[in-house]
Amino acid sequence: MDAARNAINLLSFFVIPLILVGFPLYGLYKRVPVYESFVEGAKEGFQVAVRIIPYLVAILFAIAMFRASGAMEALTRALDPVLGLIGFPAELLPMAIIRSLSGSGSAALVVDMINQYGEDSLLVKMAAVMYGSSETTFYVIAVYFGAVGIKKTRHAVPAGLLADFAAMVIAVWTVRLLFG
Amino acid sequence: MLNYIWAGLIVSSFVFALGYDVRDITGDRYRNGHPLPVELTFTEGYDPAARRVPVEIRIEPGAYTSFYRTEQVPAASYPGYLLQTQEGTQLRFGAGAKLPEPLATIGRVSRSREEELQGRLVGFTPGAGVAAAGLVFEPVRFVKLNAIADAALTFAKTGAEIALGLIGVLALFLGLLKIAEDSGIVFALVKLVRPVLRPLFPEVPPDHPALGMIALNLTATVFGLGNAATPFGIKAMEELQKLNPSEDTATNPMVMLLAINTAGLQLVPPVLLLALMGTQINTLIFPILTTTLLGFIVAIVAARLLGRLPGYRASDPNQNPPPPAGREA
Repeated sequence: MDAARNAINLLSFFVIPLILVGFPLYGLYKRVPVYESFVEGAKEGFQVAVRIIPYLVAILFAIAMFRASGAMEALTRALDPVLGLIGFPAELLPMAIIRSLSGSGSAALVVDMINQYGEDSLLVKMAAVMYGSSETTFYVIAVYFGAVGIKKTRHAVPAGLLADFAAMVIAVWTVRLLFG
Repeated sequence: MLNYIWAGLIVSSFVFALGYDVRDITGDRYRNGHPLPVELTFTEGYDPAARRVPVEIRIEPGAYTSFYRTEQVPAASYPGYLLQTQEGTQLRFGAGAKLPEPLATIGRVSRSREEELQGRLVGFTPGAGVAAAGLVFEPVRFVKLNAIADAALTFAKTGAEIALGLIGVLALFLGLLKIAEDSGIVFALVKLVRPVLRPLFPEVPPDHPALGMIALNLTATVFGLGNAATPFGIKAMEELQKLNPSEDTATNPMVMLLAINTAGLQLVPPVLLLALMGTQINTLIFPILTTTLLGFIVAIVAARLLGRLPGYRASDPNQNPPPPAGREA
C-alpha cells in the first residue's frame, strides 16, 4: 500500500514537467513551428476565462447567500431524524451539503471539525474522506459548461448530485467499517 | 433543474434570513436602546477637559448573561477609551477586542471608523476609582438580510477574480495543447485510449480529437493536478461542442465528461488534507480511494441512465437537431 502510494506520488511530480517539456520536444521532432503553435493556442486563454465569468458569478453568489442566511442550520435540524434512520451522523450534514456547493466552504468545515472534535475522531475521518473523494459539482459545471456557453445543462446536475450523494454515504460507511 | 436549484438557493436564503431577523427583533436579542451595565476604571485618572481618556472596561459576567439572555461571557476586562463628541460621551473598545456574542455582532454595526465597538455612555458620573455607567449601542436590525446582501456582492467579485486568475494557466496549457494537436500527439493518444473511452462516449466519432483531450483531462485529474485538469477539460468540452448541433444545450458526451469530473477520481489525496492532517492521511488513503472510485462509477452509471429518461432524451440535441438557423426568416 505504501509503496503504491509513493509510486503514485512520485509519478504525479513528473506529469506536468513531462507535458511542459515533452510536448514542445515532440513538436520539434515533427517539425511543427512550436513557438507559433503555442502562441496561437494560448491566445484562447483570455477569452475562455472571460467567457466563464457570468456562469461563475451566477453560481457563487447564490451559494454565498445561502450559506450566509443560516438556512444550513435550519436544514440540519429539520433533517436530523431522517438521517438517524440511515445511520448518517447529523454533524456531517453541513459537510455533505456544502461539498457539492463550495470548495473553500467545505475546506473550512474540515478545519472547523478538526478543531472541534480532534484529528483522531471518527467524525473528522469521515469529513476528510468526504472532502477528499469528491469535487465541487457546481463549480465544475460553471467552469466547464461556461467555457463553451452551455446554458441548458440537462441531466448534468442530477447525475453530479447523485454521485455526490453516493460518495457522502459511502464515505461514512467505509470509515465506520475500517475504524468504527 | 439548475434553474430550480439556483432560484431555490436565492429565495430560500431570503426567506431564512428574514425569518431569523424577525425572530431576533421579536425576541429583542440585541436589546436595542437598553443600556448595558459596565464598570470603568481610569488607569491614568479622569480629566474632564481631555477629548480622549484611556479606560479599562469591565463587564460583570452575571449581568451580561442576564442582560442578553446568553451563555457566553465577556473577558475579564477590555482596554478602551472615552471620547467627548458633539453627541455626548462615547465609549470605544480597543480594536481587535475578543467580544462574546451578541456583542461581536453588534460591533459589526455599531462601530467607529477604526472598526472599534463604540457606544454612547449614559448615567455616567466621573469619580475616583471605579465608575458605573450604562452603554447604549446603535440599534442592530436585519443582521442576516445585510449578511446575505454582503455575501452576494463579495462573491460576485470573487467569481470574476477566480475566472480572471485562470487566464495565465489556461493560456499555458491551451498553448501546449495546440502544439500537441499540431504535432499529432492528440491523435496518437486517441488511438491509445479509444478502447477504454469509446464505451463511455459512444456518440463521439472514433477518431475525434475530443477523446484525446478527455484522456489528458482524466490523467491530470487522477494525479491530483487540478491546474492542468481544468484547461484540458475545457478543451475537451470545446471539442465536444464542435460535435453539438445546438448552441446552448448539453449533449450526452458533455454530461458524461462533466459527471466524470465532478466525481473527482484521484489517486493523490488533496494537498489541503495533507497540510491539515499530516501523516494521519496515510490511514485514510484506502477509504478515500474506495469512496472516490465508487462515486466515479455511480457518476458514469447516473449520466448514462438518466440520459435515457424520456424527458432528457427529448432534449438531446443529437436526437432532435434544432432547425438550421435562418430558416424562419
